[in-house]
Amino acid sequence: MGIDVNIRIAGGAGQGIHTAGNLVSRIAVSAGHHFHATQDYMSRIRGGRNSYTVRVADAPVRAGSERADILLALDPAHLPHLLPAVNPSGLAFSDLPPGDAPGGVLAVPLKEMAISAGSPILANVVGAGIVLRVLGVPVEAADRLLALDFRGDFLEKNRKAIRLGAEWAEGRVSGRYPLPEAAFHPRLIVSGNEALAMGAVAGGCKFAAGYPMTPGSGVLHGLSVDGPPLGLVFEQAEDEIAALNMAIGASYAGARAMVATSGGGFALMVEALSLAGMLETPVVVVLGMRPGPATGMPTRTGQEELAFAISAGHGEFPRLVLSPGSVEEAYALAHHAMESAEAHQVPCILLSDQYLADTVVDADPDDFPVLPVRRRIVRGPDVPRNGEGRYLRYALTDDGISPMAVPGEAGITVVADSDEHAEDGHITEDHASRIRTVEKRARKEAGLAAETLPPLLSGPPDGEAVLFGFGSTKGVIAEAREILARDGVRVAAVHLRQVWPFPSEQIDAIVSRYGTAFTVENNRNGQLARLIRAETGRRVAGTVARFDGLPFTPESLAGEVKERIWAERSTRR
Amino acid sequence: MGGTFDTAVENAWCPGCGNFPILSAVKKALESTGKARHEIVLVSGIGQAAKLPHHVDVNVFNGLHGRALPAALAIKMASPRLTVVVTSGDGDIYGEGGNHFIHAIRRNPDIALFVHDNQVYGLTKGQPSPTSDIGWTGSLQATGVISGPFPPLAVAIALGCGFVARSLAQDVELTAELMRQAIAHRGFALVDILQPCVTFNRKNTYQWYGKMAYRVPEDHDPSDRRKAFELSLSWDERIPVGVLYRKEGRPTFEEVHPGVGDPPLHARDTPGEAVLAMIRKRLLSP
Repeated sequence: MGIDVNIRIAGGAGQGIHTAGNLVSRIAVSAGHHFHATQDYMSRIRGGRNSYTVRVADAPVRAGSERADILLALDPAHLPHLLPAVNPSGLAFSDLPPGDAPGGVLAVPLKEMAISAGSPILANVVGAGIVLRVLGVPVEAADRLLALDFRGDFLEKNRKAIRLGAEWAEGRVSGRYPLPEAAFHPRLIVSGNEALAMGAVAGGCKFAAGYPMTPGSGVLHGLSVDGPPLGLVFEQAEDEIAALNMAIGASYAGARAMVATSGGGFALMVEALSLAGMLETPVVVVLGMRPGPATGMPTRTGQEELAFAISAGHGEFPRLVLSPGSVEEAYALAHHAMESAEAHQVPCILLSDQYLADTVVDADPDDFPVLPVRRRIVRGPDVPRNGEGRYLRYALTDDGISPMAVPGEAGITVVADSDEHAEDGHITEDHASRIRTVEKRARKEAGLAAETLPPLLSGPPDGEAVLFGFGSTKGVIAEAREILARDGVRVAAVHLRQVWPFPSEQIDAIVSRYGTAFTVENNRNGQLARLIRAETGRRVAGTVARFDGLPFTPESLAGEVKERIWAERSTRR
Repeated sequence: MGGTFDTAVENAWCPGCGNFPILSAVKKALESTGKARHEIVLVSGIGQAAKLPHHVDVNVFNGLHGRALPAALAIKMASPRLTVVVTSGDGDIYGEGGNHFIHAIRRNPDIALFVHDNQVYGLTKGQPSPTSDIGWTGSLQATGVISGPFPPLAVAIALGCGFVARSLAQDVELTAELMRQAIAHRGFALVDILQPCVTFNRKNTYQWYGKMAYRVPEDHDPSDRRKAFELSLSWDERIPVGVLYRKEGRPTFEEVHPGVGDPPLHARDTPGEAVLAMIRKRLLSP
């Protein structure tokens, strides 16, 4: 990448860092460039130490960076925490009296300028004006974007604030990180959570329920905004237990249904997940992971629920677990989850996390295609009946999938029971019938396995090592691999989009081909490494683990991998 | 000659169980609606009472312990034309599902809830339920229950439930009539049915209920919320049965929810142009 500028806007919750970051992001896209935005925030409503980091580049970016080239600290009290990550050649701004600025920090009267623009809350927009001039972007470029967000008098104040910031920067720092004008292409601006909701809605989701919990709430928000125009009904449930039971009820009545939550909420949903397994009702659960156990670090990221997701629930039942690694995959896999859950009549879990949830990027509209929605409900003459004219909801079939009709159809009744049941859905304690029904449900596993989304392998066919990751680490691992390649370390990478049914054969072949394998995971225990061992019998060399609540970054991951490869080689000799 | 809604499913209730007359009343009430079996869904949780739907030939959703109401709500939201009736026990609805009971009433969906209230956990063999009387000795409370009983009717009235009634299991006519009215009521309707447990509850027997129960006086004005509340708390001396509180006119959840209605959710399509419009909202164009 020729251009690669990392801009960090930091402040307390409520200071408008999101608005300023969003403005800078869209300016970059308007100028024909690309961006990746990550958010780091504390679990509080006002104050705290939050940041919104926008990485601008001349090629699509799919990972954040730790080092900031441009820091805008709205609250100078945060500087001791923020300055260590500023590049030595970078720029740092904060609202300080000129004499009080520590070395390397430019004092800017942000609030003073904001007041003269009409309101002290516009300090963030003044700051955005400075950033624009640092990037050499004319302020007029911001006017159209501001007009999308603001109206009337407040729009005028915003326009004034951005000009005051730009004028201050003129001559002092203008054009220090020049962003040349490039050919503009229409781009979608999408977050991970939005993409999950959009994919579900595009996949025919018609019912959603949830109880707010970070980072799942963003998906619920997306569903409640995007869903209704497409006929989706949303309900805020009294708790997560109710949410998934509602989704299952709606699904019994024929609606594609989804819930979204985080680990603690999912823990409450597990009872109902098992119900979905027993009733064979399709349902999709977004599990936005964050560090645990219990309440953990509520607004930070982690991947501690892989083992939980694939094994959650009492009793044995087939399921599908997908782990999107980008906003594009979030969209595609949410759609796939809707289709697949219904096709196989199983619950499907979408494993996301706070990092992916809050990541915002510019994406190619072609990566958000309108895909067909293929309903599997049987109606009218297609409803199968036995010799007595009864519809058997749980008819024994070769593939384990029984034709699904919905209540309300004349001449049939649909009977679903959480107790073990016979083909007609009615409760039974007959042991022979139990065996037949268990085996019917289990037959669906073969169908699910046959449709497994293969892991995505990239890199040299004979590298020094292979890195395995699932979910949100996809972009970070890809970029770390490129950094390593520039340093002469040949490494391959595998991204698992589907973690259950586990793609055992492919993973087995890859581990055996490369010899040295590491997993890259935002957890301490190396859950993917354990899963690979359990499912393939192969032991990986180790896990590059990060569990401080923050996402991996390409530079730090590349460095760690290099050391691990060296250490592995040394111990072998 | 079997009735309209009879099934051939083997019955596992104890001989003499109060569930039998309640089952007869449910069938009578459903028959009185004139609905065909495919237009009705019976939803239940877990417990002996929760097995009732298996003995009625309609659509059945027999879910998890305590979770009948959220499932029923969503079924009603998905297909508002279905007649949705929840029939389950006191442990299920007031214990494990207490939170859902509260919020179901707040929402006011057009669902009728029949609670088989026998003041005991029967299927788990004799523990006290949320409605057990103080001092009652159950298998886990050898020295007697010390917590105050949950007053379902008073709670329902306090939350604004538009139809609150109590019945007596052995009075099939009354129970069926109250159930019929509950189903006809537009909005959430509760019928709490005093039901003996012939195996585990030696106190609250048919005889005891027969002695304690009395019909709500003819001159009781069911729209008088204050009086209804007072009646709902009457327990130690005599127990009023009949319609304690009734107030029509509160909009149902389905009426006020902006997305619920025709067509039912299963019949709604996902037009490509609408999907495209959703995507294009995020498009930053020159």
